[in-house]
Parts: sequence; structure tokens; C-alpha cells
Amino acid sequence: MKILVIEDEIELMLVVQLFLEKEHFIVETAKDYYSGLDKIANYSYDCILLDIMLPGASGMKLLTELRKMGKDDSVIIISAKDSVDDKVEGLELGADDYLAKPFHLAELLARVKSVIRRKNQQGEQVITYKNVCLFPDKRKVMIGSLEVYLNRKEYDLFYHFMVRPERLVEKTSLAEAIWGDDIDQADNLDFIYSQIKNLRKKLKESKAEVDFQAVYGVGYKLV
Amino acid sequence: MRVSLKNYTLRHLSISFLLIIAVWAVLFYAYILEEVYDNVDDGLKNQKIEILREVYRNLNTLNINEYGVNQFRIISAEGDVSFSEDNNFSREFFYMPYDDEEEPYRVLRTGFYDPEGVPYHLEIRTSTVEEDDLMLDLSTALIVLYLVLVLSLYLINEFVLRKAWGPFNVIIDNLNLYRFGKKEQLAPINTNVIEFQTLYNEIVDMWRRNEEVFNEQKLFIENASHELQTPLAVTINKLELLMEDLSLNEGQLTAIAEAKSSLMRLVGLNKSLLMLSRISNRQYSEVLSVNLNQIVHETFITYQSMIEYKEVEFQLNDKGSFVITMNPDLAEVLFANLLRNAIKYTEKGGKIIVDITDDCLRVLNSSNGSALDTEKVFNRFHKGEQDNQSNGLGLAIVKSIVDLYPFLHIMYSYTGGKHIFALRYVKS
Repeated sequence: MKILVIEDEIELMLVVQLFLEKEHFIVETAKDYYSGLDKIANYSYDCILLDIMLPGASGMKLLTELRKMGKDDSVIIISAKDSVDDKVEGLELGADDYLAKPFHLAELLARVKSVIRRKNQQGEQVITYKNVCLFPDKRKVMIGSLEVYLNRKEYDLFYHFMVRPERLVEKTSLAEAIWGDDIDQADNLDFIYSQIKNLRKKLKESKAEVDFQAVYGVGYKLV
Repeated sequence: MRVSLKNYTLRHLSISFLLIIAVWAVLFYAYILEEVYDNVDDGLKNQKIEILREVYRNLNTLNINEYGVNQFRIISAEGDVSFSEDNNFSREFFYMPYDDEEEPYRVLRTGFYDPEGVPYHLEIRTSTVEEDDLMLDLSTALIVLYLVLVLSLYLINEFVLRKAWGPFNVIIDNLNLYRFGKKEQLAPINTNVIEFQTLYNEIVDMWRRNEEVFNEQKLFIENASHELQTPLAVTINKLELLMEDLSLNEGQLTAIAEAKSSLMRLVGLNKSLLMLSRISNRQYSEVLSVNLNQIVHETFITYQSMIEYKEVEFQLNDKGSFVITMNPDLAEVLFANLLRNAIKYTEKGGKIIVDITDDCLRVLNSSNGSALDTEKVFNRFHKGEQDNQSNGLGLAIVKSIVDLYPFLHIMYSYTGGKHIFALRYVKS
């Protein structure tokens, strides 16, 4: 899962980044309004942590821009201003949550997981599709009653498909979600194919009822 | 032949002085001689009067018919048809024992009648200026004068003019060091010379105007890129939503995916342009001590899947620790672009080697192709031959990052079937 941290206090940004990376998130960062705008315009994120006071322009404006682009990325506003007006404005503009500074990293993590759960998993702790169960909190995959061990990339890939079963997942968005924003500079995304092939093999060995269906040149579907 | 202004003036002034002094010497010589003869002649005429008076007082004087101590002689002119009382001056040579040679004399020849009416020739002589000696002395004096003049000129040029031209050299240096978009001030000049002050002011004005135009241009690119972002994002987002429509068939999906992929290339181009513009606008001014080894390792992890998929052998040799002070984001972009470039142009099953020493980072990749154009490889929009996917800006970004830091230097070479990009730390 990919998270964007837009925060101008470098120290705080690095702490959050390190912490979330330890929790197996892919973390992208932006330090001001314009680099934040570049990020949200060009990529999608499972969750955006947005500071309100940014050099360049306000985080609220960024939120407005994001919704104007028709993107539904979850947004948690992080702000030193703990006023009701701000919270109301942020939530009305389409933020999913509001966290006042200073905050505990544990609380941040819980809220991030919560908004992702709401967005990707319809609030469920377990994602189930056919005979496969995925436990995002434990990063565990069960097929029938057997646990399948997936490496980090395989798990992330599989999660990405499990939260949108039967929907077409494009190669580009897949690469971005799992390898991070920089991968879009790669001119050849064929390497995803080998990852899918490995995953497919593991699923087949565990007698999973799910499989990947390729849409030639575009991407894959989990069916 | 090109000469400095100093030598140019010195050469021309020396030649002019030579001519002026030569002409002046001739005129001066003639004038001096004229004056000398005039004086001498006046003296001789005066002497004639004295002699005639003496003759009328003392008739014995008529017997002096040899030059002796008196420096005159009187010769009887009876029956001489050439007798005349006119004053005739001439220049003649007489032997002078003192010098032991013939010396020039001024001679006055005239005639007179004694109290008894007998005509006599009178010859009065006086030693006069030795013209050859005069000429020699004059020439010597003039040659010395000329040498002193030229030497003075040289010294004045050397010391006074050098000081006076100092500001001009500062201006030249300013122009030499000037690069577009550098925000530094021009070095000030300190001079009372109006011309240099004017030149300096004009150049400062021109420099300001250029900078303004350049900044506007850069801002324009940046603003245009920003403005493109939102419509691109909206369009791509709409296409993505469209692709989730389950009723679409594979052909339609592929068409939409192709449209999206073209748009993604546009996004990539836009991002690269924005990046270039930000680099040249110095928006990455914050610097830290950056360990390139660490960046190389981190970047490798991002691209590991691609490298493995291409079955490229990746070899990383940490022979030293390359630490430089630069912007950490730019350091990442720099190496990522080099690595991506290497991955792209390595054939399947080829090899990429990254060597890191204390002051050099080398990225080598094997390739089936031939050497790239060393001149153009870092140019914007320069692309390899069989390359339709790249936007040709990756290496231009690398170059503009390197150019930001005067101590960094990057070079491309091709040896033994390998493309080599070497990033070096150069002590200035």
C-alpha cells in the first residue's frame, strides 16, 4: 500500500516515513504545495497524509485540487491547528480524517489502517474472495485452511488484486502501487509479468480457486 | 597579427615619434645653423668696421697681409678688376694646429679704399661651428631623447595604463564568468574613467534585462507544466474509470489503454520539463552531505525487479565511500536516471557494473549498439536510433544536475563494448 506524506517539517516527515516503511507501506513524500500537487496529479495513493500549513499554498487548496481531478484517494489531514473550524472545513472538502499535531505514531498508524480499511475493504478486517482470505493487519494469506507464504512484493501485488476482484488492474497502476512512484520512469513494465507468474504458481500449488486473467497489453484481472 | 592595446599604442607611438623627431631634427639643425652663421657674420661685419677704423688710424695695419694672431689680412687690389666693396661670406677650411686637421672657418671677403684712395682686399676669418660634430652631437642627443621617450612610454603603459585598464579587465572577467540564470552579482569596478564606468553600467543593465527575460522564460515553462498537470490527471482518471466498465470488450480496453499510455508519456515529458525547469530555477537549493553509495543501494532496490526480469547481471563495487554535499533529492534523481538509462540500453542477459570510489561513480553497461555521440548525448531531446519510448530528457536532467555543482563533472565514453558514464568529484 502506498502512502503520500505531504509535510514541510523535514524531521517529522522522516520519522513518519521510516515508521510507515517499517509497517510495509510504500512511502512517497512531498515538502511543499507544488511538489505535493505534482505527486497527487501524477499518481494515486491509498492514503495521503496532508499538512495544512505548506510553503506555496494551503493544504486545503491541495485537497480541493485532488477532488477536482476526480481522484478518491483517502486523505488524513495532519495539522497543528486543532480548531473545530479547520476540522470541519477539511472534512467538508473531502478529507477522511483529521489528526492534530502532536500525535502518537501508533495513533497515526491506526487511523491510516482505518481509512484504508474503509476505502479498500469496506471496513472489513478480512478480505475474502472465493476460497482465499487475506488478513491485511497480519499480512497473511489463507487459502482454504492453509496459509500461503508470500514475499513482500507478492503480498502487495496480491493485496492490490484482492481489494478489487474481477476488476481490471492496469500494469502501470500496479507497478506504481507496488514499486513506488519512481517506477513510472521505467520504459518497460514487462517485469510485472514474471511477478504475476510466480504468484500464479503459488496460488495454483495451494489449490486456490482464484486466478489471474490477462488482458493483453493492458493488465490483469483477478477472477 | 593580434596585439594588446598596450603594445599597439606603443608600436604606433614609437614609429610616430621617430618620424616627428627626424623631421624636427632637420628643421632644428637648419634653424640653428642659420642662427649661428647670422651671429658669426654679424661679428665679422663688426670686425670689418673695427679694422677699417684701425687702418685709418694706423696705416701700418695695411701691411698685415698674412693671417696671424689678427685673423685678418689686407691684400693690395690695385689693378684687380674683381675688386668690390661688397661683403662676401664664404665657408672655407683652414689648417688648425690645435686639432691637427682642416677646420671650417667663416670668411668675409670685402674691399676698401685707404685714405689715399688705393683699393685693398680685406679678408677676415673666424673659426666657426664644426657642422659634422654638431650633427653628430645633435643626432646623439636626439637618439637619447627618442630612447628616453619610448622607454617612458613603455613604463607609462606598463604601470599607469595597467592601473587605468584594471576596471576593463574586471568587466572582461565578469563577461567571461557570466552564465545565464546565475543569480550572482557582477564584480563591481572602481574607476574614475567615464568610459569604463559607462561600459560597466551598460553591461549591468543588459545583464539585468537578460536575467529578467530568462526568468520569465523559465517561469513560463514551469507555469505551463503546472497548468498541464491537472487536465492530464483528470483525463487519465476518467480513462481509468472507463476501463473499469465491465461491459467493455478487450479491443475497446486495449484502445483505451493505448490512449492512456500515450497520455502517460505526456505526463512523463511534463514531469521531466518541470524537473529541468526547477533545477535551473535553483529550487533544489537545500544541500546535505549525501552518501552516494547509500543512494545507489536504495535505487537498486527500486529497479531490482526490472533488472532481474531483463536477466541483466548487476554488479556493484563499493571500492570507497563517495560522499558529496548536494541536494539529496537531486542525488537520487541523478543516479536513478543513470541506472534507468543503463537498464534500458543493456541487452537481455547483459551486464551493468557500478563502481564507486571515494571521488568517482562509474556506471558501465554492456550493449549491442555502438558508441553514442559524445557531444550530443547530454542534449535535450537527443535520442538513440531505435528509441521511441524515451523522451530524451533523462540524461539532460543528469547534466543539468551536475552543472549545478561546480565540483561535479560527468563524462561519457565507450570502451570495450561498454557505455561508461563517469561522475567525478573535481577539486576546483
